Amino acid sequence: MVARPGLIQRLDRGAEGKLTLVAAPAGFGKTTLLAEWVEGAAAGERPAAWLSLDRGDNNLEVFWTYVVTALRAVHSEVGESALASLRASQTPPIEWLVTALINEIAAIGDARSAGSGPGLTLVLDDYHVIETEPVHSSLGFLVDHLPPQMHVVVATRSDPPLPLARLRGRGELSELRATDLRFTADEVAAFLNEVMGLGLSAADVAALERRTEGWIAGLQLAGLSMQGRDDAPGFVQAFAGDDRYVVDYLVEEVLQRQPPHVRRFLLRTSILDRLCGPLCDAVTGRDDGNKLLEALERGNLFVVPLDDKRRWFRYHHLFADALRVHAAEELSDDMAVMHRRASEWCERNGQPSEAIHHALAAGDFGRAAGLVELAGRAMLTARQDETLLGWLQALPDEEVRTRPVLSVYSALAVVSVDPQAAEERLRDAERLLDATAPVDGPPDTAAVEPVVDDDAGLRSAPGMIAIVRAYGAGAAGDLPGVVDHARRAWELLPEDDHLWRGGAGGLLGLAYWTSGDLEAAYRAFSDAWASLRRTGDPIQQISGAFVLADIRTAQGRLREAARLCEQALQRAAGQGGPMPPPAAELYVGLSDLCYEHGDLDRAARYLQKSKELSEHGGISEHRHRWHVAMARIKQARGDLDGALDLLDEAQRLYVRSPAPDVRPVAAVRTRLLVRQGRLAEALAWVRERGVSVDDELSYLREFEHITLARVLIARSRRDQAAGREAMTLLDRLRTAAEEGARAGSLIEILTLQALAQAAQGDLPRALGPLERALTLAEPEGYLRVFVDEGPPMRTLLRHAAARGIASSYTQHLLAAFDGSAQPGSSAAQAAAGLAEPLTAREVEILRLVATGMRNQQIADHLFISLATVKRHLANTYRKLGVGHRTEAVARANEQHLL
Amino acid sequence: METRDAPVSETYELRVQGHLDDCWSDWLGGLSVRRQEDGTTVLAGPLVDQAGLHGVITRIRDLGLPLLSVQRVGPHSEHR
Repeated sequence: MVARPGLIQRLDRGAEGKLTLVAAPAGFGKTTLLAEWVEGAAAGERPAAWLSLDRGDNNLEVFWTYVVTALRAVHSEVGESALASLRASQTPPIEWLVTALINEIAAIGDARSAGSGPGLTLVLDDYHVIETEPVHSSLGFLVDHLPPQMHVVVATRSDPPLPLARLRGRGELSELRATDLRFTADEVAAFLNEVMGLGLSAADVAALERRTEGWIAGLQLAGLSMQGRDDAPGFVQAFAGDDRYVVDYLVEEVLQRQPPHVRRFLLRTSILDRLCGPLCDAVTGRDDGNKLLEALERGNLFVVPLDDKRRWFRYHHLFADALRVHAAEELSDDMAVMHRRASEWCERNGQPSEAIHHALAAGDFGRAAGLVELAGRAMLTARQDETLLGWLQALPDEEVRTRPVLSVYSALAVVSVDPQAAEERLRDAERLLDATAPVDGPPDTAAVEPVVDDDAGLRSAPGMIAIVRAYGAGAAGDLPGVVDHARRAWELLPEDDHLWRGGAGGLLGLAYWTSGDLEAAYRAFSDAWASLRRTGDPIQQISGAFVLADIRTAQGRLREAARLCEQALQRAAGQGGPMPPPAAELYVGLSDLCYEHGDLDRAARYLQKSKELSEHGGISEHRHRWHVAMARIKQARGDLDGALDLLDEAQRLYVRSPAPDVRPVAAVRTRLLVRQGRLAEALAWVRERGVSVDDELSYLREFEHITLARVLIARSRRDQAAGREAMTLLDRLRTAAEEGARAGSLIEILTLQALAQAAQGDLPRALGPLERALTLAEPEGYLRVFVDEGPPMRTLLRHAAARGIASSYTQHLLAAFDGSAQPGSSAAQAAAGLAEPLTAREVEILRLVATGMRNQQIADHLFISLATVKRHLANTYRKLGVGHRTEAVARANEQHLL
Repeated sequence: METRDAPVSETYELRVQGHLDDCWSDWLGGLSVRRQEDGTTVLAGPLVDQAGLHGVITRIRDLGLPLLSVQRVGPHSEHR
């Protein structure tokens, strides 16, 4: 090897930044250089985790599993939680995982030595094989947030889509490119004469440098061609005067100079991506694999060891490509035989993906189909659906259509995009399953003989067919269809098929939930999670608890809902490691429950905890829930403007999820508008959504219909007809809630009935529903459902108390009214003589301006958008009669508004 | 005669530095290998779409062949 101290030094210097990019075509010695650097550096204080990528790593989970495993080989204390969540059946957002990893790396660096340069290097070799955008962006995220103890090196043939320009601009990127890597004249001489010992003249060295342009792979091949040759100058002359592609010219030279058995070995084993002695023996049908691999390594014939024990090797990429092309020409028909032997060896030695690859390359589709069938479940469990789909597409149609299990897999793969094609596959599968069942009577001669390799898959196939149909029904919006198929799947699936039973239970739960059958939904979800727990997945339990708590809340079983959240949090905490991000959802759930019980401070604290957790990863599906919960607290504290801002933000953040949207943010916002007396805007929502008192009622729209009732009650002060409409609607809603056993909804509906009657001046008729609401609410400790209704409810409760209805509970509620903040204008504002007083929100923002915060910081602090901050500031300036922020703060200070 | 249903492929010409042996044709998308007097090679023929073109370019990259130019020379027509 030629020592390259200049380049090593550049790598050393580069390691002080974040990223080193080694970008050059094949054969420029990228891997060799980095291996030398890493070996030298490992002796010091900078151990390196080395990852050689291949095409199979084009999957987010696979990629990060390898990265974490490589890091752990160097620092065993990092990445434990990341690895655990990668193994879970539902991976958390990758940013969370990467953040957890970054924190752990930052921690080891702190514990060791502060400020002694990078403590850990991650080398990603052959990064050009990565073509998956999520992998690029997650690596970009890592580099952006890289702790100072760590450095990343990317070796690649093409520039990766990372924010290179930005890193370059900040001086955080160092680069080694082809011009830096190619051998200089001195290095060419050193290599040919010292390393290869060829004793060439200066003129011959110069001619070879010109011919290869310093391309190291070319020089290596040239050196090999000249070894043991008497007439080196003659070779150089012939080579230099030829225009052929360097590799073509030289590989032929090298191959010609090998003894026949080596030449045969090279050509036959060129089909292998990775070589080991026994695998080579299987392919060649000989027993000298280990000996030859050792000899090739000693002779520097382009084998690269892949492990320290010198068990696995691969050919140098360029050499392998050239060998394969030669092999295809010389061996032609034998190639299929070699691939088949390789496939059999890989199958016996637990390498199913490689076995499938070689079976497909051999054109042995029957064999490939059997292997795909056996690998299918593991691929789905590991969420490598795309790999499975790729294999299925590589198989001829008839191979899939004779196999019931593969027919189901291919139906599953296409059901969301092409339900009709999926249904055809399912019918194939059913016909084949009928044929596998023992039947009396004459055999059906027209039937295809079904082929089965995976017996467990066959037992699950009838249930899986039903699941695929349930997915199809779900995509078509056919709820009863989902219920039918999912229930059937649950019945058909074998007891021990936890994965698919979990899937069936989840589908069933969602369908029941959406249709409003909450008890059935609860049971289905509990069953599903019990199954999935047996697959050993901590994260499932948490998101499961969140949904179960939601359902219990709707059923009016607040205490049980709280217990579900608390138990799940305890379990998550008991597992050690950082809290997984779904725990942030549980804190929102707990906050909601504390809110209902009237403990606003605790509710706010839970939201704070939730926010801290979710900062480690965007759980975008539920971020809107956090804002809605915070808006309620603001509203209860009298800050209606602040609440409205948060709801606007919640609307912006809302992301559709498979869970039914039973409390649409727009309806929550409309309720707030009603409370603010902004009836015109509330009516605009009614028109826009097209909600009407004549609608057919469903659980999915219950919240909107109760909102409509609130709008109508507010109108009834001026419009008698609206009051009557509200009462009719509430009657129907009450019946529906009773039928669905939704006590949570029922309590709210009853309080509204009481308020509607009171608004009509009929106090005795108001007390009936109120009493029923109180009876239902007392055992569960409801409070805000009454207090949030404000003065009219307070009056009603006083009447109830006077008549001794639920007296101690009623007194408790009345006391809560006294503690509740009332939105009011500040006396100071009146004294300041402002024509239009500042709202509480405007004062809050102005206070933050006074602390020197920029608008964006204020927006982040208050969880609102930048545009909203600007709008509030513009209003403030107008009201204060000032032109900019410093003037506004000065003016407000003068008048003691802050 | 062209039928509407047949996938329309485009004919491309890629020029690389150095003379390439014929045996690479299969490896490089089945393009024909034409060695030029100036020491370059023109790889020419139909490619089904841009993805096919990028596949060939990737293989050229992996061989360490300097790529000099890429040109689309028009829709591919079968002469029988």
